[in-house]
Amino acid sequence: MNPSTSGPSARETDYGALVRAAQGGSQQAMERLLMRAQEIAYRFSLLVCGHADDADDAMQEALLKTYRYASQIKEPDAFRTWLYRTVKNACLISRRKRVHEPARLESLDAVVEHQDGSVQGIDVPDPGRRPDEALENTRLRGALHRALQTLAPEHRLIVFLREVEGLSTREVAQVVGISEANVKTRLHRARLSLRQQLESP
Amino acid sequence: MKPEPTDRCRKLLEEVSRYLDGDLTAAERRKVGQHLQRCPCCQHMADSLKHTVEACHKAGSARLPADVRSRARARIATLLASGPVPPRTA
Repeated sequence: MNPSTSGPSARETDYGALVRAAQGGSQQAMERLLMRAQEIAYRFSLLVCGHADDADDAMQEALLKTYRYASQIKEPDAFRTWLYRTVKNACLISRRKRVHEPARLESLDAVVEHQDGSVQGIDVPDPGRRPDEALENTRLRGALHRALQTLAPEHRLIVFLREVEGLSTREVAQVVGISEANVKTRLHRARLSLRQQLESP
Repeated sequence: MKPEPTDRCRKLLEEVSRYLDGDLTAAERRKVGQHLQRCPCCQHMADSLKHTVEACHKAGSARLPADVRSRARARIATLLASGPVPPRTA
């Protein structure tokens, strides 16, 4: 197992190539970058900050900054860490604007009540999966998000970047602003706590 | 029945996680590998940690809700229709 190379979202997107294509005039590449930025902002809002109402603000901010930065960046391969730093800052600023309550997590399977009173299910079933498979994944995600909620915020952030998003240790260190050794120490402790929570009845 | 951890197992908790990431020296890796081969408790821990990481990966690939995706697409369309990015000012 080597999570540094196996995270799903980051692994599947070659951001450097997308940035170069976007700078070369590809609207499709720009659209993909802008969608990735919003997806990351959405997951960060839910999993690290814990509020669906923050997600729209964070997605909008990530969108605008990505649009501006992707057109002007001189080192396209540095785009990915820039994007995660930007999303982190956008989400944390949105969170601070709300209230001074502690960050918490929201299950992707939970129903979220917005400030305007509307409610929204965070997850939707994938029509390509068998119902039993979808149900198992739904339960697993629910359990995971409850377990994540118990972690200290700094551990939750590391788990999100490294295990959920698939960034390398070096990239996580750059995004968070700590040493790689510290990333590893936090990651292993967080992973043990997470495992314990998932195993507890 | 779940195997009971010994004091040695408890001391090796973080090393088992590091072992899975290939994050140990050769000597440490050999020591933890040998322990894992004969300790059902730590084998269980290693399997459980692998499942934990897999669960995180699945969360990362979860689809956006349809309404959120739809709003995201609309924002992109509006932004791209607004024209090129203005030059950055110092």
